[in-house]
Amino acid sequence: MKLKAKRRMGLVFFPAFDWAISPTHPEREERLLYTQDQVMEEGLLDVDGIVEYKVRPATYEDIRRVHFCVPDESSVTTESHLISAGGCLVAADAVLKKEVESAFALVRPPGHHSMRVVHGNRGFCNINIEAIMVEYIRRVYGIKRLAIVDTDCHHGDGTQDIYWHDPDVLFISLHQDGRTLYPGSGFVEEAGGPNAYGSTVNIPLPPRTGEEGFLYVMEELVLPLLERFEPELIINSAGQDNHYKDPITNMNFSARGYAKLSSILKPHIAVLEGGYSVEDALPYVNLGIIMAMAGLDFQYVAEPNYKEEYKPQSLDVTNYIKELVKGLRYRFLEGGLKKRTYKDGEIITRARNIYYDTDGIHERQLERIRFCQSCKGAISIDSSSSLGQHVLCVHIPKDACNRCRETAMDWFHEGKRRSYTHLYLQDRDQDLYLSV
Amino acid sequence: MILGLDVGGTRTDAVVISEKGVVSLSKTPTTEDLLGTIENVLREALVGIDPTQMERAVFSTTLATNAVVQDRLEPTGVFVMAGPGIDPLAFEVGPSYHLIEGILDHQGFEVRPVNRREVEEKIRVLKAQGIDLLAVVGKFSPRNPEHEQTVYEISKGSFGYITLGHRFSGVLNFPRRIATAYLNSALYPVQKRFVESLERILTSKNIHCAKFLLKPDGGTYKLERSVDLGVAAAQSGPAASVMGAICLDGCKGTSLVMDIGGTTTDMAVVVDGTPLLTPIGAQIGPYKTLIRSLLSRSVGIGGDSSIVVEGGLMRIGPTRHGPPMAFGGQYPTPTDAMVALGLLNEGNASKAHIAMKRLGEALGIADIREVSLRVLKTMAGLIKTYALQFIEEINSRPVYTIHEVLYEKRLEPDSLVIIGGPAAQLAVYLSEVFGLPYRVPKLADVANAVGAAVSKVTAEVSVYADTQKGALVIPELEYQERIPYTFREEEALEKGREALLRLAAYLGAEEGQEIQITERQIFNMVRGFYRTGQNMRIKLGLKPGILSSMEVLR
Ligand SMILES: [Zn+2]
Ligand SMILES: [Zn+2]
Repeated sequence: MKLKAKRRMGLVFFPAFDWAISPTHPEREERLLYTQDQVMEEGLLDVDGIVEYKVRPATYEDIRRVHFCVPDESSVTTESHLISAGGCLVAADAVLKKEVESAFALVRPPGHHSMRVVHGNRGFCNINIEAIMVEYIRRVYGIKRLAIVDTDCHHGDGTQDIYWHDPDVLFISLHQDGRTLYPGSGFVEEAGGPNAYGSTVNIPLPPRTGEEGFLYVMEELVLPLLERFEPELIINSAGQDNHYKDPITNMNFSARGYAKLSSILKPHIAVLEGGYSVEDALPYVNLGIIMAMAGLDFQYVAEPNYKEEYKPQSLDVTNYIKELVKGLRYRFLEGGLKKRTYKDGEIITRARNIYYDTDGIHERQLERIRFCQSCKGAISIDSSSSLGQHVLCVHIPKDACNRCRETAMDWFHEGKRRSYTHLYLQDRDQDLYLSV
Repeated sequence: MILGLDVGGTRTDAVVISEKGVVSLSKTPTTEDLLGTIENVLREALVGIDPTQMERAVFSTTLATNAVVQDRLEPTGVFVMAGPGIDPLAFEVGPSYHLIEGILDHQGFEVRPVNRREVEEKIRVLKAQGIDLLAVVGKFSPRNPEHEQTVYEISKGSFGYITLGHRFSGVLNFPRRIATAYLNSALYPVQKRFVESLERILTSKNIHCAKFLLKPDGGTYKLERSVDLGVAAAQSGPAASVMGAICLDGCKGTSLVMDIGGTTTDMAVVVDGTPLLTPIGAQIGPYKTLIRSLLSRSVGIGGDSSIVVEGGLMRIGPTRHGPPMAFGGQYPTPTDAMVALGLLNEGNASKAHIAMKRLGEALGIADIREVSLRVLKTMAGLIKTYALQFIEEINSRPVYTIHEVLYEKRLEPDSLVIIGGPAAQLAVYLSEVFGLPYRVPKLADVANAVGAAVSKVTAEVSVYADTQKGALVIPELEYQERIPYTFREEEALEKGREALLRLAAYLGAEEGQEIQITERQIFNMVRGFYRTGQNMRIKLGLKPGILSSMEVLR
């Protein structure tokens, strides 16, 4: 018998064996070492239809489609971040050039806690590798509507922030309830900005959610949402810290569960995010995801002591999740979500404090968005940090209407007269980026 | 004096080399009878040679490959210990493949022990089937050979020969380990008979020197060691040619070595005299193995490839329909073009002209010379296309560190080294399409036999040390040791060096061969924000190279 992938899949493996946040940080050189051992030992790369790709670094131009890096890209990124993001671009190319049906960017460091404005490292992330990939895909391949399903145990607050005002990206995050885990956000009420209300869906799961709960949420909520949104492409932020062995979270998911989730979700591109049980979980979870994406039978994939270790989900967790899903279905599938209405052209503001846990930076943001019935709306962010930066970031969306473009330009010129340390203009319609 | 003998698919070559250079060479067609072929070519090669003066004899044969391809493998049982992962039935080989208990994890920790009773039961099943050969392979056995050793202890009285998976390589690839161990046991009787017969032939010819076999990595090992490790000598053909090119030319810089044969062209890349190796191992027939091998590419285009015209376009190869027309064949071939152009003074020139005329008619070209040139240029162009693809694949090999992404240089050949039958005739056309200088070494048509003769012994060992677990393993030598938490990288290297020297001596290496560290990865193991140990992966080897005394041949 010769193994053959039912679905041709691409693997971009970049373990960054020479990079760590600090010598004893969980985001360390060793993180994907045992995953590599398991993947190699299984002989997965000899399987007909599994193709390994070589990474390439992303460019600052790729980053500027997504982020405002303060003061600039070189100050907040290292080569490792560029290569990790570049690995996602390689995965995207492989899929969109139709060399493979799906691809998995098994890369580090991760990115889903990085927001639109970047002052430093938050939750082990500097730049948002999925968002950089999404904007690259939109620019190079002309794709408009995408869905990002974030299955990392932590709320994908960075990705949520970047697509908060974008009705063409459906962002769904399944995560451990923010009342019990970093970053403390991702509640059901967070559903998107005024121009994109309803395109952000948060599913905060109770601690100890098991295989049953995750798969229930997928079947009953995530798949129907995807079906209704009809994205051209599905991306999975495939964090692996929901695993029952993960040292920094409290969930109860398993390798086979992750494999099943992947086989149900069928993402076009999966991107590794968190997951810090480097010996006991990652080797098996990654094996399961690769096999599921390739359409191989994963019934024998399991942690070596799964039978002894795994405890099925308790009844109260099951009941809690059923109620949660019921509420979310009502809001997002059955018309229960009540949009606030604004006057066309109304400027809506939002003030926020953002904390960069890894780097200890405090950021204060004042955001303005133009409520617009013709486009995604102009955005400006006045951001000041405890490092002494005070910057203005102006964003013109793709297919911006004239009024929004004028508003954005007015904000930008007005900013020049004030005493910002830096001014940025990100024109997504013209694919331009200006830093003053 | 040294003797080199290369059995190829169609031709067998032998050379005798002294300090003065090649003193004798002979060629003979390869027949079904391998030993007969060897005897034939030896008879001729030894004319006028004093066999007692022979100091070294090296053989490169198709024995293992043919046994695999012609299905002459002996019935062999396989015991597999798998654990979680891909369904191990996907890797089934041989007539009697059995899954048995025993699980190790990726660090070599025991998850489930071997079940002695079960092994004994399976042994009875195999014996009832009349099977006398066994392969025992565990997932992650290079991390901890104990399970395979336990099964060996239980089984050793019941089988004629047993291969354990961890002995071949520290490389992690369970399916390949299964295939490699299986082939090694299944080849055992064939290999044993071959070695005995060859020894007899050589003794009868009064050759009593050290004898070696060539391996696919361009290295050699002692003939008597091959009885236990027959699979290691499979697929040595490309290595013979490439090592020959290195010997005859030197291959300085980055050379693309091309061996142009009758039906195929083999290519390989040599950087400053050292050939590039495959990341994992050779493929033998349908089996992907862990046997270290030169990186080479064989493409279906050679001097005798038949040429057809389809839709006004010339297609050369990949098949050969008999000999060239100049040699009595039915189809025009590149060899006919060479004869027609007067580049080759063999065969029937008027038949070659007819061949080119026929092609010309189909292509709408009247001038025979023009047609013939078109053939050679098309052939060169095709080879270039394949070569560029091959080089691109090498350059697209994944890398896993930031350093490699940023600093690894792209491989770009700066010259062509062309060997094989029509090397001299085609070189100028290849050079033109590649835009690169070329060299055709003297003796290019017996480079393969020269390569076998002059290649040094190679060996490789892997050291895996885990100071958190307190264990060091060198699977190739079945070496295991408890190590303290304070065990250092330098100590691991020293253990590796000792092991390599022991293995090298066993395989017949000369003293003082250069040791190369091919991998050196040291990881801090971090658990809960604390460093709890180090995980070390070191590989050392004797790299392929030629005997220093043989530089006279250049
Ligand atoms: Zn996470
Ligand atoms: Zn607008």
